[in-house]
Amino acid sequence: MTSIGTGYDLANSIFSPDGRNFQVEYAVKAVENGGTSVGIRCKDGVVLAVEKVVTSKLLKPGANKRIATVDKHLGVVYSGMVPDGHHFADRARDEARAWRETFKTPISTSDLASRMGGYLQAYTLYQSVRPFGITAIIGGFDSELESPVDGEVGSGPSIGAGGKVQGSHGGPGLYMIEPSGMYWGYYGAATGKGRQAAKAELEKLNLSEGKLDLKQAVKEAARIIYVAQQDNKDKEFELEMSWISNADGPTKGRHVEVPKELLEEAERLAKKAISEDDEEEEGEEEDDKMEE
Amino acid sequence: MFRNNYDNDSVTFSPQGRIFQVEYAAEAVKQGSVVVGIRNAEELSSYQKKLFAVDEHVGLAIAGLTSDARVLSNFMKQQCLSERLTYDRAMPLETLVSLIGDKAQLNTQHYGKRPYGVGLLVAGVDDSGPHLFEFQPSGLTQEMLACAIGARSQMARTYLEKNLDKFADCGRDELIRHGLRALKETLVQDRELTVENTSVGVVGPKEPGKRPLEAFKVHDGAETKDWINSIADDTETSGDGMQVDE
Amino acid sequence: MDHRPQAWGRPRDDVYGAYDASYMQTNQPNQHTQSPIVTGTSVLGMKFKDGVVIAADNLASYGSLARFTDVKRLRTFAESSVVGFGGDVSDMQYLDRHLTELAIDEAYTSTTTTPNAQPTLNARNLHKYLSKLLYHRRSKFDPLWNSLLVAGLDEAGAPFLAAADLLGTTFTSPSLATGFGSMLAQPIMRGLVPDEASVAQVTREQAINCVRECMKVLFYRDARSLDSYSLAVVTKDGVELSENEKLENQSWAFADRIKGYGTQTV
Repeated sequence: MTSIGTGYDLANSIFSPDGRNFQVEYAVKAVENGGTSVGIRCKDGVVLAVEKVVTSKLLKPGANKRIATVDKHLGVVYSGMVPDGHHFADRARDEARAWRETFKTPISTSDLASRMGGYLQAYTLYQSVRPFGITAIIGGFDSELESPVDGEVGSGPSIGAGGKVQGSHGGPGLYMIEPSGMYWGYYGAATGKGRQAAKAELEKLNLSEGKLDLKQAVKEAARIIYVAQQDNKDKEFELEMSWISNADGPTKGRHVEVPKELLEEAERLAKKAISEDDEEEEGEEEDDKMEE
Repeated sequence: MFRNNYDNDSVTFSPQGRIFQVEYAAEAVKQGSVVVGIRNAEELSSYQKKLFAVDEHVGLAIAGLTSDARVLSNFMKQQCLSERLTYDRAMPLETLVSLIGDKAQLNTQHYGKRPYGVGLLVAGVDDSGPHLFEFQPSGLTQEMLACAIGARSQMARTYLEKNLDKFADCGRDELIRHGLRALKETLVQDRELTVENTSVGVVGPKEPGKRPLEAFKVHDGAETKDWINSIADDTETSGDGMQVDE
Repeated sequence: MDHRPQAWGRPRDDVYGAYDASYMQTNQPNQHTQSPIVTGTSVLGMKFKDGVVIAADNLASYGSLARFTDVKRLRTFAESSVVGFGGDVSDMQYLDRHLTELAIDEAYTSTTTTPNAQPTLNARNLHKYLSKLLYHRRSKFDPLWNSLLVAGLDEAGAPFLAAADLLGTTFTSPSLATGFGSMLAQPIMRGLVPDEASVAQVTREQAINCVRECMKVLFYRDARSLDSYSLAVVTKDGVELSENEKLENQSWAFADRIKGYGTQTV
């Protein structure tokens, strides 16, 4: 970074002569040091996973959740500064609540992403604040069913002004929001320290073909976190995962933790997969030597 | 003029993505005297009068700026009371702690504010059992099995890590003794735990695993005598352990 | 024509005369809800040894008109409690949305599928909250026109049943009923559970049968009731809610002997 020391990086919302906002770029650095987060959107749901680095033996195992529930059908996970992530989740909950209050119906994943994108962007506009030191992944499943308006008790009108719009709607949604406020929809999203390796693995899954199902996605997500963690093998970590299916699926349309049994199986498979990889690599190395 | 251009306020990231003001606030915690907390059912102990009851079921220990701690502890007291008033229940610990975490985070993101210069250990029992949380000036809150913060607290943490497996099964008095031994590790040479410089805060069920709760109580002065005497004898307890390890 | 922005959209003074602003003013004090509009009738609840039975019919009346016949007046909360609503239906919908919000808040700290990993609001907490809300609103002279029963378990796992009404009044008893039920059903239910001690002797079937019987009595004698109703049973295993129960084995033989109504001349 050649422009360090030129003074354009000392306050938020300041453009440098070549049109960069350095404080936002530095916020991205805070994300790049955080534990890896991964999101996978598959045909029948969404999986969120995060690598939680164990910073002390005294931490209570299994506590200190990093994946937050925003509404019944929505979850967020983030990499970077954990307190900032809390702030983000809190705001997302407020947005979801406000949406329900206004429209008497749950907020869609895309609308929440839009609202939160706007919120993060606002923190790049003023010198009086700093940008968020996180990249967040939002996962949700918008109901495909004709859902009643909140508080509805009888059958509403089927046609006319109060009637329902026909046609298909709803489905899984996955969005990733960066400190700048920029966000895109994804089939598979990864951020944090191990994002490069994780992205490479996600690409191999060909998620756009829509063949992967939710259970497979859970196993893949666990494996990807383990693969992405390979460069820091010495550091202990915990894997936390949550998922969201449609109303007929295992989570009944809700964002919940992946059940213990499935999580343990996914971790077992992930460990097996990476140890096999290691053996192959070692094997290759030996081959190389032989050739030499 | 400044050694570091990026450490003047809490709204400036350094090129490495760090916020120095928040890190400096964490240093303020180390200026405060040490406190130790252990969770199995109960226990906190301190080397100054720095233990407070927040509600019947919650207590806290502080290290750092006392006035900042008072702001947070008053806030927690109010939250606990309002929870009892509106729902008639003990405030869940995780909810309580995340409230002060969020409050502290806000101070690290807005110009004109400064991070709280205090670290807390929050201990309590709610419907899901006993909990111990550590609070840091950055707004980070973490649930711990045992923890120590403040000056020379690393020594206490080392002791706690070594004895971590024992806490879950030991009784209340034994747990308090572990806390005091951890506290002892942090003492500079020629200093000892005395009834003047030690207090012990305890919260837990009246009988192990049962519901009726014995409210958080701070034991001061003579009340701590028996506990202090009971660990005075095993002068080199942990020392022995360490030597064996080495 | 007057083209000033202030005059846009207003009736023309030259055609209709100047606007009579006195219509906009009243000399009366502000008034909020003075009476319920669309209403539900009684809710019944009864404790038994392992939990609570609660029932309410599916009718929402507009005055004496049976206006909506598929209105579900029992609402589950967090899969562990049930709230039964009598009184104004739109206020009930408001409260229902409120409870939905509360349930979502609760789920923030308990996404985990492990039971009891985090504290959740139990029926007693819920009743406390609702009664505070009702009292708060009546103190603003803007009451929520309902009487509620809250059924579930308390923190010790014991059956819990309590009532709250538009004044913020609360009470609890082994059996409870709101509205007409408090006069017609309560004596019958008290026959089975006269006091807290007797709850331990009552089985689930006994309680359900008694409540069904009371629903029938109410349908016979309460002109704002319906023969289709909802019935929920709350135990430690959760809530079983059935929203399309029908009254069975009705006998209107007694109707012949009622004198002094309608077109009867004798």
